[in-house]
Amino acid sequence: MTDQVSFPDAVQWAVPFFIAAILAEFLWIAVKGKGGRYETRDAVTSLIMGAGNIASGFLLGFIAYAFFMWLWQITPLDLGTSIPVIILCFVLDDLRYYWVHRFGHRIRWVWASHVNHHSSQHYNLTTALRQTWTYTFTFMMVVRAPLILLGFHPAMVLFVGGLNLIYQFWIHTEAIGKMPRWFEAVMNTPSHHRAHHGRNARYLDCNYAGVFIIWDKMFGTFVPEQENDRVDYGLVHNIGTFNPLRVAFHEWVGIWHDATQPGLTLRQRLAYCFAPPGYSHDGSRDNSEQIKAKHLARHPEDRGTPGFEQVDKILPKGQAEQA
Amino acid sequence: MPLEILLVLVVGGIAGITLLLHLTGKSRLHVLTPDTAPRQWMRHFPDDTVIDVTIAHDGHAALVRTQNGAGLIWSFGADTVARHLQDFDWFETANGIEVRFHDFSTPRATLHLDQTERQHWQHMMRPA
Repeated sequence: MTDQVSFPDAVQWAVPFFIAAILAEFLWIAVKGKGGRYETRDAVTSLIMGAGNIASGFLLGFIAYAFFMWLWQITPLDLGTSIPVIILCFVLDDLRYYWVHRFGHRIRWVWASHVNHHSSQHYNLTTALRQTWTYTFTFMMVVRAPLILLGFHPAMVLFVGGLNLIYQFWIHTEAIGKMPRWFEAVMNTPSHHRAHHGRNARYLDCNYAGVFIIWDKMFGTFVPEQENDRVDYGLVHNIGTFNPLRVAFHEWVGIWHDATQPGLTLRQRLAYCFAPPGYSHDGSRDNSEQIKAKHLARHPEDRGTPGFEQVDKILPKGQAEQA
Repeated sequence: MPLEILLVLVVGGIAGITLLLHLTGKSRLHVLTPDTAPRQWMRHFPDDTVIDVTIAHDGHAALVRTQNGAGLIWSFGADTVARHLQDFDWFETANGIEVRFHDFSTPRATLHLDQTERQHWQHMMRPA
């Protein structure tokens, strides 16, 4: 196995670009009078979350890297570091990203890490930097294991993962409407990702893509942004704090409170940890399917439109109407 | 990238952007009106039916009566946050009332109320 392979830390090198792009977006909005909103404390919180994400990488990154290097030691495969291999690694890692991201919205344990990225009611380039501090604790690094076992060097896998994150930076904007049709068909774009950040019933649990939107189209989670349903950014239950510590840890605290309350069965405690967000043992909360069903009960005219096609399959029509 | 340069970029970038936003008026709080407060509430709780709203004189908070009980909506930067008034405490402050929710993600709301409002709001916020 080739151990002496090194790639630059792309995300760190992109920091000056991030700052310049935020300033450019801010100026664009100021000059044009449209294309997004900025608010001081919201933006500062997002930027501090971004800085904390880099710091957590310094502090905890060795855990994932040690795991990856162990996998690299045991795999007999080595695909090398040629350009075609790096490109293939990038595409496969984007597929990995799609599934980790989907788990991040459908498994509360992973959502506890990812939720902070959705906790802003704004959508601008600073929102892109509102990143997790607790990813290591989700153990989602195991989803990268197949790539390394297939012979992609860990340093390369981390490098393309960094490129993936850098790509996703520019799509966090309202300053860009739609890209050319061919681009919208293949790539993740500001329009597709705006929908992903929506708290509207229609947009819950859609558009998990990192770089290529084709994964959502393949796996049935694609919902195009609708002109008649403007995206409302944030969480179903928006948080009321700009404190980065509370932003970073609030869902973990929520899991602790829920799973340790008295009188629950072991199954219920585990469901509070690992079921989709919105689970409750007493039916006092709604998950995304129930939110969509309730929306359709209020707005039956939306039945069958993008984002609601699956509801009738999950909940029979009568049940959805009663929701 | 050398750590010291990264540190300077991150700290300098955050400080510069903060200053720019504040000096260009991006720290202004959302203002609620009798028209917007019910709409904002319904944005947070679409299943509710709003009976009436009482707006604080500064426009930064409103008490909302709904069929599911009373609630509070308040300015959160340029946006709003809302909670039903369940599982909370309140404390009088020099300028009004501080509501403390037993919720790690939404610890408190600071309400600026004059003397007349203060009594009315306290009465309205009492659990039925």
